[in-house]
Amino acid sequence: MYGTSQLWVAGRWGRAFADNVSSNWWSLKASRTDPGLARSVNFMSAWEAGAALAGVIGMDEIVAEFIRRTILKIPVAEIGKILRIWNFIPESQLKTINLKQCKENVSQDVVELCKKKRASMKEAAILDIIYHQTCQIKKIWTVYKMTKAPGEEVDLSDMEEFKDSFKKVLQRALKNVHISFRDSEDTAVWIRIAWGTPYMKPNQYKTTYMVYHSQTPFVFISHCRIKKYIPELWQALMTAGNYHKIQQMELRSLYLDSLKAIVFKQYNQDFQTYCLTSLEEENSEVEIVDPRIIHENMKEKERIQRVTRETFGDYVQPRIEFAQYKLETKFKTDPKNGILAEREEPFRCLVKFSSPHLLEALKSLAPAGIADAPLSSLLTCIPHKAMNYFTIREK
Amino acid sequence: MASSQKHVFSLTGVLYQLERLEAHDQRSARPQDGHQGPQDSETDLEAKILKLRKLRDELRTKVKLHEAGARIPIANLEPYEPLKNSEENLKMKLEKAKAFFQAFHLTGLSGKLTTKGVCICFNTAFEGNILDSYYVDLIIKKPLQIHRHSVPVFIPLEQIAAKYLETNFQHFVYSLSEHLNGYSGRKYQADQLQCGFSAFLARPLQRNSLCTLLSFTYTMDPSGESFPFCARLVYQDLTTTLPTDVTITYQGTGATPASWENQRAVHETLFYKNALHKVFESFLRVRENFDCVSSVP
Repeated sequence: MYGTSQLWVAGRWGRAFADNVSSNWWSLKASRTDPGLARSVNFMSAWEAGAALAGVIGMDEIVAEFIRRTILKIPVAEIGKILRIWNFIPESQLKTINLKQCKENVSQDVVELCKKKRASMKEAAILDIIYHQTCQIKKIWTVYKMTKAPGEEVDLSDMEEFKDSFKKVLQRALKNVHISFRDSEDTAVWIRIAWGTPYMKPNQYKTTYMVYHSQTPFVFISHCRIKKYIPELWQALMTAGNYHKIQQMELRSLYLDSLKAIVFKQYNQDFQTYCLTSLEEENSEVEIVDPRIIHENMKEKERIQRVTRETFGDYVQPRIEFAQYKLETKFKTDPKNGILAEREEPFRCLVKFSSPHLLEALKSLAPAGIADAPLSSLLTCIPHKAMNYFTIREK
Repeated sequence: MASSQKHVFSLTGVLYQLERLEAHDQRSARPQDGHQGPQDSETDLEAKILKLRKLRDELRTKVKLHEAGARIPIANLEPYEPLKNSEENLKMKLEKAKAFFQAFHLTGLSGKLTTKGVCICFNTAFEGNILDSYYVDLIIKKPLQIHRHSVPVFIPLEQIAAKYLETNFQHFVYSLSEHLNGYSGRKYQADQLQCGFSAFLARPLQRNSLCTLLSFTYTMDPSGESFPFCARLVYQDLTTTLPTDVTITYQGTGATPASWENQRAVHETLFYKNALHKVFESFLRVRENFDCVSSVP
């Protein structure tokens, strides 16, 4: 629909079309219901043009299109499950959808059923949240930490009050924001915000997601490209949660669960205790096939295993994809030779480690013989300090 | 040959031994000044061999005597005492140690010295059920500081540490233990209600992270005909497992019958005095009795 140079929107009340005057500007040409409405208003994007047209035609088409696109994004295996969690279409009607046909047809069927029940944007937003909660979406999550004013005690924090307060403050500050909430099982609330301008309805495709656990000072935010409303967002968060200051932590990842594990210390850290199971594990012996074979470096290997286990623990590490070290230190080189020896200015480096599963990769470096054990504390402190962006300065 | 050859192999391995032997051989292959002829060195070696053989025989007799000596006391032993060799001894010691550690685990508080300090383990429990364990790793130096911990972020660890860690260490440990046990107990009750008695709940249980605010709606009648009770339990004290405020209201419109009011008062008292899942167990018993009674013709 948006690929052509002319945009047609059909709805219950008539048609309108807009011309793609140039690559960036659309001009609303005519409306069959109200020819007098022909005005050439310029829009920045096809989406905004569509939104304006929909304002002329009727809200339904936008909602229908949004639901259709959301269903198209969901993998086929999860569609049934997500629709059941959504609980908007009754079970009897859900059974009539044939999930084996191609996705286009499945989404059309769902849209038809939603139209019969007159779905509004509110329900469609909930469907979007459920999709994000269930499927692994490739979005970068940033962690923010809020601090209370000194001397304040831990408060009860009623989640309903938090939601009301947040919505009120944000809607007072900005016009045309669409806020949706959904509780998740682990005492967290997912907040979805679609941003609009005073003249434009909220853009449902450019949304910010926030996850907040009650009585914790951490918020996980996945930003969309619209960054100018961040101060208002923070103000709403702090007022609703009764906090005094908010700060971005140097911790970012694609995997929300890993971020939660690091920040809430839910990953299995190795603590030195008299744990009964660990005593038994140490008695397991290496199988020796031929008694005449002696492993030359057995002691060294055992030392490496022990040091690795003490640093990382026995269990799987939280999953992050990169660690970045910005070195603001001077490059140290042999003063006699070396091209960089005479430089007055410091030589700045940025070192970035990336991997599908960075911490597990670091854990396997010493046992594989690639690095010495123990590893540098800059690498091993990532989960303890809850940081993966470091700035190293001169001491 | 250079005597300062770098050791490529590990200091205890077989290859190192071979290396040493090779070096020794090379050293002895060098020409020596003012030496005796090869025949003299032969006699030297023969003498050496005889000396070593004598030493070997002496050691062998010593070993035999020692072994024989070890067997003598058997005759002096009590008839029922079993012969304990070192391996069995070790096993018994291991079993004893394991039993001690299990006992420590059950007391709820245990610690282990680490290289820099001590690691304290808090094992929480509620009404005889052993729940999660939390660890605090301390570094012993002035001032005492917490190196790492696995305490959840909503427990006010920093506040407790600021108050007691420097001044009264025992109080710090005790206070933290109370907070953790309180949290574990409340969480256990909420989980039990959610999983075990979901038939009673009209709406899923809502709680906050510390489980200090629980709100749920329940009915006594499974068919849903009776008026629902909307309960809200507040635990002001973070170290307790019983609520400090209980409010039961009716969320719908219309007047509630007097029987409902009576039940409400009774339920409120029950929630104040008993653990959450125990209250619902009593509801279950009431309902079962009622069913029994109604099924009797």
